[in-house]
Amino acid sequence: MRSFSDFISMGGYGFYIWGSYLFALIAIAAELVGLSRRKKALQEELKPVNLLRGRVTNETTT
Amino acid sequence: MNLYKYSSPTNFYPLAGKLIPWFAIPSAILFAVGLYVGFFVAPTDFQQGDAYRIMFIHVPAAWMGMFLYVLMAFYAGIGWAFNARLSSMMASSIAITGAMFTFLSLVTGAFWGKPTWGTWWVWDARMTSTLILLFLYIGFISLQASIDDPRKADRAGAVLALVGVINVPIIYFSVQWWNTLHQGATIRILGKPSIAAPMLAAMLIILAACWLYSVAVVLIRVRCIILEREQNARLAEVAI
Repeated sequence: MRSFSDFISMGGYGFYIWGSYLFALIAIAAELVGLSRRKKALQEELKPVNLLRGRVTNETTT
Repeated sequence: MNLYKYSSPTNFYPLAGKLIPWFAIPSAILFAVGLYVGFFVAPTDFQQGDAYRIMFIHVPAAWMGMFLYVLMAFYAGIGWAFNARLSSMMASSIAITGAMFTFLSLVTGAFWGKPTWGTWWVWDARMTSTLILLFLYIGFISLQASIDDPRKADRAGAVLALVGVINVPIIYFSVQWWNTLHQGATIRILGKPSIAAPMLAAMLIILAACWLYSVAVVLIRVRCIILEREQNARLAEVAI
């Protein structure tokens, strides 16, 4: 097991390795945040429809 | 059980909702396991030192980018040929995740290229064809976004997606067909892979995680697409 500082420096490649993984995290987080916003906006938009139909659930379209 | 009923967006919607956690939770677990194996079990490479650890995210991202493109084109083609709305919606849903992985493979590739080749980017056959893949995804997404009628948008997208499929074998074989700076395949369908077992394991575990992630995210997004597209029909129904 290597020491913490060795682990962070990754034999001098730390910037590139952690940069890659940080970017991967950002890319995935961005996709998930975008998706959750899309979902929320849709739920807001569909509220009146659901109310009209006497249902508050958004689980089914039937 | 009649499986055909799930080709209707309305019937597929609740099924997709039930399936999501079955992909999302294992995905999170496999990401954690894969990163653990990749960073704590896999040894330092004698040639590349630790820089090769970028491979654990770079290779799965690149594979997912190509695989999702073929899948997107397949769904778009089915949706076009058989007038299957849900298939076309799946294609639209896959496009964004595919573009994300392709972009991720280009960025992580740059992070790997800088310390090992001394450059962030070269106009190498594999890298250029991967960039074209990203443009095809962006083209598909923007083409669909620019057409108001969803079925027309689906058809136009399908033509673009199917024509673009030719790029996928070009990416895959680019390292054999041209003399590229990018290294050849480490994992071959036939024959032994040329890397140590824990390295291979970490990469395959993260690939599985990426695949499960894609299924979960595509299902969440296709549910949004179903609601977005069917809401006009719902409003009409309510108005009557």
